[in-house]
Amino acid sequence: MSSAREQILGTLRSQPGLKVPPLPDVMTSASSDATPIAERIAAFTAILNKLGAPVDVAPDMTAAATRITEVLAQHNASSLALSDADEVLAIAQTLPATIERIPHDAPRESLLRSHAGLSTAQWAIAETGTLALVSRHERHRLSTLLPDLHIALVPASRMLATLGDAFVRIGPDGAPDAPTITFITGPSRTADIELELIVGVHGPKALHVVIVADA
Amino acid sequence: MNTSPSNRKANAFHAQAKNALNDATLKQALRSATDTFAERRSAAIAAVPDWEALREQARLVKDATVARLDHYIEQFADNAEQAGATVHWARDGKEACAIVQKIAEDNGATRLVKSKSMATEEIHLNKALAERALEPVETDLGEWIIQLAGETPSHIIVPAIHMTRDQVGELFVDKLGIPPSNDPKTLCAHARERLRSHFAQADLGISGVNFGVAETGSILILENEGNVRMTTTMPKVHVAVMGIERVIPRFKDLEVFLRLLPRSGTGQHLTTYQSILTGTDSAQDSANGQGPEQVHIVLLDNGRSKIAVDEKMRETLACIRCGACLNACPVYQTVGGHAYGTVYPGPIGAILTPQLAGMHEAKPLPFASSLCGACKDVCPVKIDIPSLLLELRQRAVEGTDHEPATKRSFFESMSWRMWSWFMRGPKRFRFASAMARLGQRMPLVHRLVPPMAAWHSTRELPRLAKRSFRDTYKGPSK
Repeated sequence: MSSAREQILGTLRSQPGLKVPPLPDVMTSASSDATPIAERIAAFTAILNKLGAPVDVAPDMTAAATRITEVLAQHNASSLALSDADEVLAIAQTLPATIERIPHDAPRESLLRSHAGLSTAQWAIAETGTLALVSRHERHRLSTLLPDLHIALVPASRMLATLGDAFVRIGPDGAPDAPTITFITGPSRTADIELELIVGVHGPKALHVVIVADA
Repeated sequence: MNTSPSNRKANAFHAQAKNALNDATLKQALRSATDTFAERRSAAIAAVPDWEALREQARLVKDATVARLDHYIEQFADNAEQAGATVHWARDGKEACAIVQKIAEDNGATRLVKSKSMATEEIHLNKALAERALEPVETDLGEWIIQLAGETPSHIIVPAIHMTRDQVGELFVDKLGIPPSNDPKTLCAHARERLRSHFAQADLGISGVNFGVAETGSILILENEGNVRMTTTMPKVHVAVMGIERVIPRFKDLEVFLRLLPRSGTGQHLTTYQSILTGTDSAQDSANGQGPEQVHIVLLDNGRSKIAVDEKMRETLACIRCGACLNACPVYQTVGGHAYGTVYPGPIGAILTPQLAGMHEAKPLPFASSLCGACKDVCPVKIDIPSLLLELRQRAVEGTDHEPATKRSFFESMSWRMWSWFMRGPKRFRFASAMARLGQRMPLVHRLVPPMAAWHSTRELPRLAKRSFRDTYKGPSK
């Protein structure tokens, strides 16, 4: 035990007579799962659209692949950094051969120069338009951060209603499900110069979500 | 008066405030920024039906935590280490800076990047590291701008709020050699390109912490730009500097604070990114370059433990650093952050600084308020800032065990004694009112007689009616 630790704790314990108010029960918005999936998707889409991020709903993986190809073309993206999710790897095989595929464990340099990144999200939150990435289930820290465009493939079944519902999933038994959990709500942005909103500072300049109904 | 960043002092508040008042550009920038934030905040919380319940809950959680901070911070440290992080304890800023410096040197790190953190500003970490030629590159756009300008932040959330696009443009031309531009989008693109190369090469990343979870050892950091994700992902070593009061008990408590903080700070329902980091990522991830190999958490006291055991003042530690009180404060709106001469400006700075740095360093600040209460109304954790300011005023005047009392001016104490004597009898009161009526006919008296002269240098005393209410009540004058 370091002396700094002892001294800090010592000061904190130096007035044992002070009042100790009780810790209240956790307040949460969880268990509102009754909202139909279609409604959740509509809410999610509305919020993300407002933030400048398009959301598509594809009936199946084939349609999703077509949509992803179109989005890549729209952005003139010819290289795609992949996470290691099964869905991502499967869909990557069906994309046109002209698109260079960069695996998740490629050297940093290739990831840094890739135009687009493709991942899934472990959860999506309708209430806030948020993607929740849980690192234990997928290696997607870099493919969702470095490229200019991030495409997220989200099975509709992962669409949750509220932030509280997400905390139940990412923190089962009150402990985080993975060492790194990242919430993403829209493209990277700043308002640091005269409060003017600029999209795309350090993270992706564009976020595109493709929800797959039957995944 | 020279108000270059290094010369600004909390004790020089009056001179610095006067300077700020004469700066028309600054005034304009402040007004538009604080108005914009206040409007966004109002709109954002109007959409939350249980806003008051959330505030209440957050405050109860914070009160319970601060009262048992010894328990929760120890639990946090143990769990963070269990998860693979290395925890360091720092009694003060000097110790914290030395710890960060040692981590850098132990790892042979020379290229440092940093995301925005008020705690590191508080301990002047960059200055300490610069002495060892280890100065980190600030990566938050606003922080980077002021680092290039050799400035200090003027707002907790928007550090370069005091600079116009033209000033930023000129700075970039001067420091980066870009073609002239004052277009924020163009300037931002240059910043992205420059900072990308820093991120790609960095071997150590320094961040702050918004919340630390005691039961899991997790830290949560909020941001919009993606530079926090970069800083905590790209380099091999991540060092997080965390004030000990950032701790909250349970993982699920994060939800309430996530609902309160962005709405109060920027009026967003959520910031673009939240990183919830627990220890180190798996060995495989680190090997794949998906995350840092080492995570260090520096727990910073620097005066906080004393506040925690000061029963009247400990609610200060409930603060979640949203900046809403700055935007709501008529004093901050008028003079801006630099006038305070401190790392933490505005109402929260006025209660925090005298406690962290000592009253002798910041005596004017508790008095730099009209006690209007706007800060208390907007505070997401309901800190009663006006009452804390009053308590600090009393301590400033009467002194404490560690601080000398203020020597009162002869004229001031005389005036108050006379005031209290005149107020204690109806005859005396009538006599005093009559004298005052007489006095205000002589225009120069109140401008020359101390201490009224100081008060009158910028204000007019409301004029007394020609006849008192009592006289009028008795009937028309004859």
